[in-house]
Amino acid sequence: MQLTENVLEIRDLVKDFPGVRAVNNVSFDIKRNTIHCLVGENGAGKSTLIKILTGATFRTAGKILLNGEDFWAHSPKEAKQKGISTIFQELNVVDQLTVEENLTLGMEETTFGFLRRTDKINTMVSVMNSLEPSISPRQLVSTLSVAKKQIVEIAKAVATESDIIIMDEPTAAISESEIARLFKIVKGLREKNVTVIYISHRLDEIFELGDYVTVMRDGRHIDTKPVPEIKNRSELIKMMIGKTVFEEYTPKEGECKDAILQVRNLSNHKLKDISFDVHEGEIVGFYGLVGAGKTELARAIYGVDEYEGEILFKGRKLPPSPDKAIEAGIALVPEERRSQGLFTILTIRGNVPVMNMKKISRNGFINSSQEKKATVEYIDTLRIATNSTEKEASKLSGGNQQKVVFAKCLFADADLLMLDEPTRGIDVGAKSEIYGIVRRLSKEGKSIMVFSSELPEIMNICDTIYLLYDGSMKATMRNGCDIDSEKIVHIVTGGD
Amino acid sequence: METKPGRKTIGGNWSNESFLTVFMVGVLVVLFGVACAFVPNFYQPKNMINLITNNWFIIILGIGVTFLLITGNFDLSVGGVIAMTGVLSVYFCQGVNVSKNVLANGLGLPYGAAVALALACAVGIGGINAFFIARLKVPSIIITLGTMMLARGIGQVITRGAQRNTSLPDVFGVVGDLSIRGTSIKISVVIMIILVIAAYIFEKMTVSGRRTYLIGANPVAARLSGIKVARHLTFLYLTSALLAGVTGILLASEFKAGVANRATGYEFDALVISLLGGVSIAGGFGSVLGMFVGAVLLSVMTTSATGLLLSPDWQFTLKGIVTFLAILAQRFALDRRKG
Repeated sequence: MQLTENVLEIRDLVKDFPGVRAVNNVSFDIKRNTIHCLVGENGAGKSTLIKILTGATFRTAGKILLNGEDFWAHSPKEAKQKGISTIFQELNVVDQLTVEENLTLGMEETTFGFLRRTDKINTMVSVMNSLEPSISPRQLVSTLSVAKKQIVEIAKAVATESDIIIMDEPTAAISESEIARLFKIVKGLREKNVTVIYISHRLDEIFELGDYVTVMRDGRHIDTKPVPEIKNRSELIKMMIGKTVFEEYTPKEGECKDAILQVRNLSNHKLKDISFDVHEGEIVGFYGLVGAGKTELARAIYGVDEYEGEILFKGRKLPPSPDKAIEAGIALVPEERRSQGLFTILTIRGNVPVMNMKKISRNGFINSSQEKKATVEYIDTLRIATNSTEKEASKLSGGNQQKVVFAKCLFADADLLMLDEPTRGIDVGAKSEIYGIVRRLSKEGKSIMVFSSELPEIMNICDTIYLLYDGSMKATMRNGCDIDSEKIVHIVTGGD
Repeated sequence: METKPGRKTIGGNWSNESFLTVFMVGVLVVLFGVACAFVPNFYQPKNMINLITNNWFIIILGIGVTFLLITGNFDLSVGGVIAMTGVLSVYFCQGVNVSKNVLANGLGLPYGAAVALALACAVGIGGINAFFIARLKVPSIIITLGTMMLARGIGQVITRGAQRNTSLPDVFGVVGDLSIRGTSIKISVVIMIILVIAAYIFEKMTVSGRRTYLIGANPVAARLSGIKVARHLTFLYLTSALLAGVTGILLASEFKAGVANRATGYEFDALVISLLGGVSIAGGFGSVLGMFVGAVLLSVMTTSATGLLLSPDWQFTLKGIVTFLAILAQRFALDRRKG
């Protein structure tokens, strides 16, 4: 078979989700036996693109050619059979089995139900050995480090003759020394006739590893270039964030008042020595990549996770439990709307008053007319699109579901609202409505903490911006016309 | 704000809960009609009343089991708790050293104290359930199977595997024998009806009742919304055990005996009537009223089946089949609604 120059050609690829075009007319080529990096902010469309390639979701329109032939995968298994393997952040290895058993998992050959040793196993083991001799085939996978588990997965992909291996943030959870070894192996894959699509938020890795880089932004393909043609980080960052205009932000008038929340030397399994203040009426943004520790910070303050250090709310130490935090005046809009925020099988009326049942009850008995009135009030003020208070929350759109979660938190009459990824996965209209709500609350004197991995969001609404990287607080900035978005991206991607 | 019921899906704008209850009531009406037409003497008023009054103990158990099921948890210990509480109330009440037969000798406590102590033991079983399930987060099915064995085992140790029924004061049998003047309706049935009404009020009107649903609908969101999940589950397990204990006291009084094998399989009956009444095994919805309907439904089915063609030996088989049918009906009904 004549091998084409490009292992993968993507033409006019489109993927629509309700209300959002996640991938918008994307076309680019990936050259055979190269390391091709894919970068872009959260929401740029990288993950959706990868999901289409791996058969986890289906395209709306467009064409993909693999080795010059039309490619269509209906399931991850089919994608693998056709030559595209993926190494996800959540590794697909079984801890309780040995390395050898993991390598052959799902393709065991049997005689009368008994496992048979075949050439296939031997091939796998020899590939494994050539990549990383220190891993023994008889070793239990649970005894391996994360990096070595990744190598086991790479070996599996190589041995099954994958043309393309997609690696999604492989360095997010491994140490510096292991990164070096992993990179050596990834570079070596080019000689084994494998093309690597490498996704990472850590820009330095792209310069160290990549042959080509494709930048995506807002679902569009911005550019594909050989890495040596890119001068430095800042050129790449410019491509990633474009000429974003943050005209919406209006600096806060007047000085900030008293500190309502004081965090001192907060550390736990994820966070490293974090200190800051939140003032009355202030909107504070915490910006960082996935895994930077934003959610963990919110959870520690809310009393869900354990921590060392001191958290003072209105001058008092908070007991570590969410119900106490709510009582004290803190409410959280959690990261995962459906699994952590919403009671999907209950009605809107069932959801809204949950965090402050005292307001609609007396002596433990619910006053249903008050309950209904309060629900209608919040449907109106947050403009939740529904024809009834009795509509099941699961039947609302993502944006309206998020508004219900907001209503829940507002009903708690909290003085401090923590919003973890408040606009994730909702359409543009609902997004700007939510920003409006946040600004209004701040004017009413509420303090708001926004935890987000979307820079425009942070720059649109926050007065003060804290930058997180790998669990540490790297910088503090006042928002304003002189704020430097390139510097922000530089810092949160691990630059000095 | 209200809209007209949609046409596309069955039951349009109803909640799944009321839809399932109405669905099951419909099944009940149909079955009832069929039974009246074909089963001899089924339509007689006395039989109608018996359909409910013969099941008072299962319905009382069903209250606790239903609420726990709504939170997504099981309580299989209730049958064992009935046996244990009954046996203990007898043992505490029997005279001291009145006979050479060990099974005739007890602690000689006054009836009130014996009942209170036996109920305390029942609540203790509920406490064990709560500790493991609510605090240590062990799956409820394992723990309540364990306490089911433990409770019945205590009953068996105290009765030496048989029963205790001698040297009891007269007062012991009074509650179980009482009936409404002029009828054959026992006081236990009245207690059952009062408890069902109380449970209905709890379910529909109280904050605590609402919490039950929230925990079942999404335990993670419930915790993040400030609900003390462990505390509420503890409350429900203690209540369920207390209700089983009360049932045990009433049954022991009625039979004037503490029997170790009493109420075998009742935990399953209580589960079946909850499922028949539309309580979701996944948690989040269901109702006491539905459970009541389920109890009548099961009663109609077993009575008409045995009255018509089956010998009583078939009742376990029948209940097994009914369970599967109930779950299939839930699935069928809810799938049709998705549209």
